[in-house]
Amino acid sequence: MDTTTKPQTQDLPRSGGFPSVRYKRNLPHKGPSGLVIFTVLGAISAYGFYRVGQGNLEKRELRREHLWSRIHLVPLLTAELDRDTYRRNCAALAREAEIMKDVPGWKVGESVYNTKRYVGPTQIVVPEPS
Amino acid sequence: MAAAEHPVLSNVTFIDPTPSPDDIPKVDEVGATSAPLKSVAFFIEGRKVTRCAIDLIRKVREHCDQEFEAHWQCLDRNNQEYRHCRGLERKFNSCVFNALKKVIPGSPSNQPQIHLKENPLYKERPRW
Repeated sequence: MDTTTKPQTQDLPRSGGFPSVRYKRNLPHKGPSGLVIFTVLGAISAYGFYRVGQGNLEKRELRREHLWSRIHLVPLLTAELDRDTYRRNCAALAREAEIMKDVPGWKVGESVYNTKRYVGPTQIVVPEPS
Repeated sequence: MAAAEHPVLSNVTFIDPTPSPDDIPKVDEVGATSAPLKSVAFFIEGRKVTRCAIDLIRKVREHCDQEFEAHWQCLDRNNQEYRHCRGLERKFNSCVFNALKKVIPGSPSNQPQIHLKENPLYKERPRW
């Protein structure tokens, strides 16, 4: 076969050539960088913890104030309660003496415990409302 | 018939009307409820507490009746927490400081007292 006499037709690029192949990543820039985000979040957290600390200090002071207001009232309330307890105790002893007056050898208000220490009343007798 | 009750755990109301024996010196009771007492708590001091407290409350009533009333009513309505009633407390305090020459004792080192804090984190939020 004679290949030299006929002109060869070759597959050629189109006129102007092919466009270059797009191989680069195409990721548009979105938002601030990671370092900026970390820094901002860290700053927000630090401010939050600062506020928590300030709040804890303030809460401590509020508790202290509340406690001291109670402490200032303690002698007053103790005195009031002591008077009332003594009065009720006297009344209870008087009732006991009245009830047990016919029993010979009965000691009014004698402790049922064999000790010299004070033992508070373990029972109170509520009289019938008249 | 009388019933025996536990002195602490009993839920029976036990009112004993018997008066105190005569050989005990007569003392009038204060008769104030918890909110007024908490309101004047920092001004009560000294021995012979009951008479002293009655005397103090009478004096406060004399000089600062309106402020006292407003403050303890506010305490009564706000869980008896001072922080909800700072505005009324400052008015009441300044009146008592001026009229009765009282101070609130005790302050943390190098800090203003909590009731003078300008911009507290735990804000005042009175319900009334």
